Amino acid sequence: MVKKIPIGPFHPILEEPEFFELHVDGENVIDIDMTIGWSHRGIEILSESKTWDQVPFLVERVCGICSCSHPYAYVKAVEDLLQVEVPKRAQYIRIITAELERLHSHLLWTGLAGHFIGYNTVFMWCWKYREPLLDILEAVTGNRNHYAMMRIGGVRRDVPPEEYGNIRKMLDKLWEKNDMLTKAIIDDPVIHARLKTVGIFNKDQCRLYGALGPTARAAGYDVDARRDHPIDAYGDLDFDVILCENGDVFDKAVVRQLENFEAIKIIRQCIDRLEEMGPMKDDSELCLEIGEIPPGEGIGVYEAPRGEVLHYIRSNGKNMPMRHKIRAPSFNNILTNEASVPGNTVAAAGLITAAVDPCYSCTERVGRVDVNTGERYVLSEGDLIRLSAEKTEEIRRQLGM
Amino acid sequence: MEKEEVKKRIAEKFGDKVQIAERSEKRVYIYAENEVWVDLASFLFNDLDARFDTGVGIDDRDGVEVMFFFPFDREGYYVTVKTFAKKPYPELDSISPVIIGAKWIEQEIFEMYEVNFRNHPDLRPVLRSDTRPADFYPHKRENKCKLEMSRVKLDGKERTDEVAGRPLKGQNP
Repeated sequence: MVKKIPIGPFHPILEEPEFFELHVDGENVIDIDMTIGWSHRGIEILSESKTWDQVPFLVERVCGICSCSHPYAYVKAVEDLLQVEVPKRAQYIRIITAELERLHSHLLWTGLAGHFIGYNTVFMWCWKYREPLLDILEAVTGNRNHYAMMRIGGVRRDVPPEEYGNIRKMLDKLWEKNDMLTKAIIDDPVIHARLKTVGIFNKDQCRLYGALGPTARAAGYDVDARRDHPIDAYGDLDFDVILCENGDVFDKAVVRQLENFEAIKIIRQCIDRLEEMGPMKDDSELCLEIGEIPPGEGIGVYEAPRGEVLHYIRSNGKNMPMRHKIRAPSFNNILTNEASVPGNTVAAAGLITAAVDPCYSCTERVGRVDVNTGERYVLSEGDLIRLSAEKTEEIRRQLGM
Repeated sequence: MEKEEVKKRIAEKFGDKVQIAERSEKRVYIYAENEVWVDLASFLFNDLDARFDTGVGIDDRDGVEVMFFFPFDREGYYVTVKTFAKKPYPELDSISPVIIGAKWIEQEIFEMYEVNFRNHPDLRPVLRSDTRPADFYPHKRENKCKLEMSRVKLDGKERTDEVAGRPLKGQNP
């Protein structure tokens, strides 16, 4: 007996405005139908009525968590059109901001993942460790989110040298805490039982679906724009691309945890380079003088926490883009649910859709329809989290913990 | 695969159906005739081992320019494949049967520009809500002009400046 469970148009757990219709036979999902675009804001068309310098502020608003990655990809697209290289100091400052953003994004995801499976301590820990990170972002950029650091040709402001010590201290502490969290995840038998072999998405599927970021790397699909299309000083920095091989929810969590160490390594190297450069002498170390943008087109890519962000711009020589295309990684990654959700249980479906780390919205609702009787149920976010937590408890009991 | 090798093999296979231009060290643009569009995408993806990234539509007076990006990650460059779907009924063959990841972006280009992708498995609007008019394609030139005119009418003269790309009077961009 096949039933249909509509989830959405807002995401069941991660509050992303999407619509999932699960076709289920008892507890098992046999098919999924997805619709996105419920909060389509028309940012691309809006961007085409903003001046080149106004656009970075607009594209920061594409995503609150990736509020550095989108302007980064945009300025790289314009710089690709102009064929200019920004000053070294600006390159390091860009990378520091972007990697700090990666750390806070991954910690946020780990915390929420813990919450969804009933590990609220993990949730509270992650929030606690994320706080000093946001303080550093505020000290460096002036804001906890929406940093307004990116500018065509460079950055808006220098990192004050007196902050170097604070950043290092924060990173040292975070390294310890991340190490503890990683071990807690890798060693926990309940997490293994709950997340391993759930939502498997293999390497070949990744290539066919165009999966990106940790979603792809968890399956061993080796893509990382920081290494493959190195922008700014990424080519000079020493870091590893983290790969797993199973492509399940557990591996997606492990990839994110291990990437935090790489992000810390990258920031430390950038701080070292900035120290070697000494204090800033004049503004030319921060930003190039950019005149008019000539006709042409440019592609900018950056590896955001969720995967590669792509911005395409076309100029007709006027003072605003003629076309600005934005492709966020979730656009590709959400499509992967089509293959990773069927074959799993309803209790796992929310977790699998959340494992690609889609963005947030403020409202959510879940409707459940019995196709035979036409009866409708509405489950709240709390109900879904309770279902997921109950499943974890059941595993705990089975393991005698 | 190295860039020169890719360019050579594409030129050999598709001859005068494609025009290849190298704009910079890491950007190759290929303009393809409609009839070889899918074959070229398939050749890049399956034979030359490029990754599929995404697509873009750009509306023009006579048609819609559609382009898809194929990065070569090991070598660090992007190949952009372009074609032109002529108005009044822009149509192209879909590459979704070859590359599943192209499904949503083709749906998006369809709903924004009215490009009909033939053989697409499910060409329904992917982004907009069901309550919007079915024949409204927001990124089409004529619709963009209407939107801008309505903003001018509603918001008065100063808004005209913003629509024309000039910053509002008295405000620092």
